[in-house]
Amino acid sequence: MALEEAVHQEIKELVGASDVVLFMKGNRQAPQCGFSATVVGILDSMLPDYQTVDVLAAPHIRDGIKVFSSWPTVPQLYVRGEFVGGCDIIQEMFGSGEIYETLGVEKVEVVQPKIEVSAPAAEALTLAAEEHGGPGRELHLVVDASFQSNLSIAPRTPADVEAIISGASTEFVILLDPISAPRADGITIDVADTPNGQAFKVDNPNAPKVQKMSVKELKAVLDANEPIELLDVRTPEERAIAAIPGAVLLNEEEAARIEGLPRETKLVLHCHHGGRSHQAAEQFIALGFSQVFNVIGGIDAWSQEIDPDAPRY
Amino acid sequence: MALQIINAGPPPEEIAERIRTAIAQAMPEAEIVVHPENPGHFAITVIDAVFEGLSRVKQQQRVYGAIADLMAGPSPPVHAIDRLECKVP
Repeated sequence: MALEEAVHQEIKELVGASDVVLFMKGNRQAPQCGFSATVVGILDSMLPDYQTVDVLAAPHIRDGIKVFSSWPTVPQLYVRGEFVGGCDIIQEMFGSGEIYETLGVEKVEVVQPKIEVSAPAAEALTLAAEEHGGPGRELHLVVDASFQSNLSIAPRTPADVEAIISGASTEFVILLDPISAPRADGITIDVADTPNGQAFKVDNPNAPKVQKMSVKELKAVLDANEPIELLDVRTPEERAIAAIPGAVLLNEEEAARIEGLPRETKLVLHCHHGGRSHQAAEQFIALGFSQVFNVIGGIDAWSQEIDPDAPRY
Repeated sequence: MALQIINAGPPPEEIAERIRTAIAQAMPEAEIVVHPENPGHFAITVIDAVFEGLSRVKQQQRVYGAIADLMAGPSPPVHAIDRLECKVP
């Protein structure tokens, strides 16, 4: 099938626009399909910077790239003008380590994470490994971008690293992919009772938590013009009574804008006393944001300590 | 009840034959096996000496390029290729 000359030219320019170009659904911050998200995760672990093209925003590119590459699916990765492959192939190349050479980046030696396993957890894991594992099938621990952990039994890939397990004498290994490994360093695995029976309980000290910010610290940050997103989670009625200068009402539209921002953006949330904003902050942590602050005491503390002209209510 | 219209397309065997023909046109020497899987999904095996020395991506691009017409448009007869095996005889 021939491609319209104009579209062919446009895609050619996109492919040549940068050394590494990923045609995907959505963008790097917010991938809109699982396959695109997987490739972004792999590239993010190796490259600080690369170009993405959102095919959902341009239907003619979405159709055109399939013809251009003789490849029927998206995502598609181009490196220095050469088609490399789709999701399966990138995963395979990542597993074998071949991707480092393709991208021309140094292979980073992944440090083996230290994991503490309680005695009951070790017993349960040994049992699971014996029951479901087998030649080439071993225990894997995946820690995703939101620091949610997941245990599974899967084939070992060359890129996997073994965890250093402490706390229990063990007959099994826990494998981690190179992206999960640094996120898993220092975690503990225990068992806990749930309404559905026993389950593994993972405590991860690396998981980002909501941090505290006093109104004095907030004032200093604002005075220094530090780049932050200051979000007011109260109602418009409360805002009419008193507001912190520079704070933006967190409505649906604003929430959607924030969700599209880089995950290391500093978010500072406040409400009346700090309760509602803490809950909202937890939600941004769950979305993968790593720098989320809750203003202790809310605008009430602001009125008392910083700006007596801001009415209390 | 939902007003769902189920448009019957050509039978899977007929689409499989169109896939086979399209690949055969591009690769006349190839031995081609096409298996219908779920509706719109197919598994393809192609054995051809031209694959010799090509990377897996390049091999698969030869086949995907040949059947691009059958996979294009808003509701193409071929929705997805679940497995594509390219082998050298």
